[in-house]
Amino acid sequence: MPEIFINGQAIEARDDQTVMEVAREHGHFIPYFCWHPQLSVVGNCRMCLVEVEGRGLDIACNMPVAKGMQVFTNSEEVQAHRKAILQFITLNHPVDCGICDKAGECVLQDYHYEYSGQRSLSHDEKVRSTKFYNLSNRILLDNERCILCLRCTRFTHEVSKSMALGVERRGDVSNIRPVEDRPLSEDPYSDNIIDICPVGALLSRQFLHKSRVWFLQPTPSVCPGCARGCTVQIWHRKPEWKLKALDQRQNENIARVTPLDNPAVNGPWICNKGRDLAQMFERVRADEPMLKGRPVTVPAALDEARRLIGAARHPVALVSNWGSNEELETFKDKLGEVFHCFVKQDWQRQPGERIEDDLLIRGDKNPNTTRARELFGHAEPDFKDGTDLVLVWGEGFDFARLPPRAGIIFLNSYLQPENGHADVFLPVSIQTERHGHYTNFEGTISAFEPCFEKKPGVLHAEDLIKALAAPARGHP
Amino acid sequence: MKHLVPEFEKLRERFPAGFESSLALPCLRRIQEDRGYVADSDIEELAVFLGVPQIQIEEVLSFYTQFRRKPIGRWHLQFCHNVSCSMNGAENVLAHVERRLGIKPGQTTPDGRYTLSTVECLGSCGTAPMMMVNDGYHENLTLAKLDELLQGLK
Ligand code: SF4
Ligand code: SF4
Ligand code: FES
Ligand code: FES
Repeated sequence: MPEIFINGQAIEARDDQTVMEVAREHGHFIPYFCWHPQLSVVGNCRMCLVEVEGRGLDIACNMPVAKGMQVFTNSEEVQAHRKAILQFITLNHPVDCGICDKAGECVLQDYHYEYSGQRSLSHDEKVRSTKFYNLSNRILLDNERCILCLRCTRFTHEVSKSMALGVERRGDVSNIRPVEDRPLSEDPYSDNIIDICPVGALLSRQFLHKSRVWFLQPTPSVCPGCARGCTVQIWHRKPEWKLKALDQRQNENIARVTPLDNPAVNGPWICNKGRDLAQMFERVRADEPMLKGRPVTVPAALDEARRLIGAARHPVALVSNWGSNEELETFKDKLGEVFHCFVKQDWQRQPGERIEDDLLIRGDKNPNTTRARELFGHAEPDFKDGTDLVLVWGEGFDFARLPPRAGIIFLNSYLQPENGHADVFLPVSIQTERHGHYTNFEGTISAFEPCFEKKPGVLHAEDLIKALAAPARGHP
Repeated sequence: MKHLVPEFEKLRERFPAGFESSLALPCLRRIQEDRGYVADSDIEELAVFLGVPQIQIEEVLSFYTQFRRKPIGRWHLQFCHNVSCSMNGAENVLAHVERRLGIKPGQTTPDGRYTLSTVECLGSCGTAPMMMVNDGYHENLTLAKLDELLQGLK
């Protein structure tokens, strides 16, 4: 346990640590571009220069701790060199922040403002390079903005292992480039490079010029795309920036999804499916209760559902593994005795989707199979003993498999043909409209928060379950 | 590239296991020596032989300006235009050759005999200005010397 000194503060460091790691742990900020806690150290940007007494300047990210060393992270010497380094890094930078999606969350912008503020001192014309270069079907590359920190190439070599990116040529004409034999389009983790790019060089096609980031706010959530249950941030318009003209649907749309750093589940990464949650959640919604396809009021639908439940002799429930822990527990508590319950797999693997790997992606493409099975067992749905009523909660069950003469109560969020075939159809809210928790395949519980308001005709499943269990005309 | 594989196997023995990507450089040099340039098919085959992604071959190739991706003329004239040579009249001798051959640096004569290039310091500053013709050095260049030399390059 070598003792080292950072800006005069004595710190007990561990033998295997670098000055960068120790400084971060103890709240001494050192700026950096190329260093990343989950990637190998390349030490190529020189932004993390610190001064060590008796040794001069060196980079903190690649400096092992040594007993008694005196490190200064902000001496005059360090400040002067930092400024010079930034001058060097921005020598050919196009300064097109005005049209750059990264503006507002760009480390280069922040550091330049904080530590340099100088315009380019280059006498030559700035080096021109490719903008909006087609890196994959999901990502564009702006080589003029790239500072060649090599985080993106290291990610594809060390984390996703697709080996999809490299650097061609050298010096100020170096370019990040993809290769034909390992297309980045086939890397299901590719979009993480957009997040870890410290500048606006890697751009999401989905998000391109869609919004300035300062109009948006993140809400913590959990990706329901597989049993890993990665924690994510769902970005949507801030209330104070809600559009009052133009297309107001944008106020209710997911602008983008990014990882929520979480060592217990997914670290700083998610897969591309998690980025595409808008496509999952923004399918056309069902927002009216129905009796055999005929729109009715919520109380009327609830009355009929309760009547069916009261009259049934052998009711079966297919419980959604997209239900939150709270909803599943409420169901168990209120209706567990009434119905014979089975867990239903709402979602199956899509054609072409990666089945499973040893990074994040899991074979079970549902978020809460773990808690659902804990409460309702492992048995496959089975309709014997003259099942006369089936409550189907959630999508993905083929109605042709239901017993022909049984009544159907259907709880679903999306506009689907089955809705009209149910005796009672009740629209329920989706994850982005409510609070809850999922239990992932390892038993780790993560929370999601609401981003948007639900429509009036739509019910939260938890309220709905309680209402169905209520004896007579109690409305939620 | 295929016929060079036995040579490459020998080279591989001199490298520790797991350092296959480091073999890219000597293999590429050998390919260029053999074919005169590195063809696309060479990149693909070498990547397979070394078991590395193609980008690692492309990185090496594009880093070193000495590698060529297209055939060049029989005689490759490389003029140094770095400091010492420039101060000793590199521009003059280069302009003279450009005029005589009717091509600019980076170009090859239509008959496929000469390719002209400019390069950085070749470590022969004491005898500036200088150039290389294929693998040989030609130093203390004058216009007369150049004329004589070009006569001899058929
Ligand atoms: S594209 Fe971004 S992450 Fe990749 S090297 Fe350039 S600056 Fe770094
Ligand atoms: S690994 Fe699973 S939970 Fe994580 S982002 Fe991908 S689909 Fe979602
Ligand atoms: S962060 Fe240390 S050199 Fe880039
Ligand atoms: S400058 Fe021409 S050989 Fe050195």
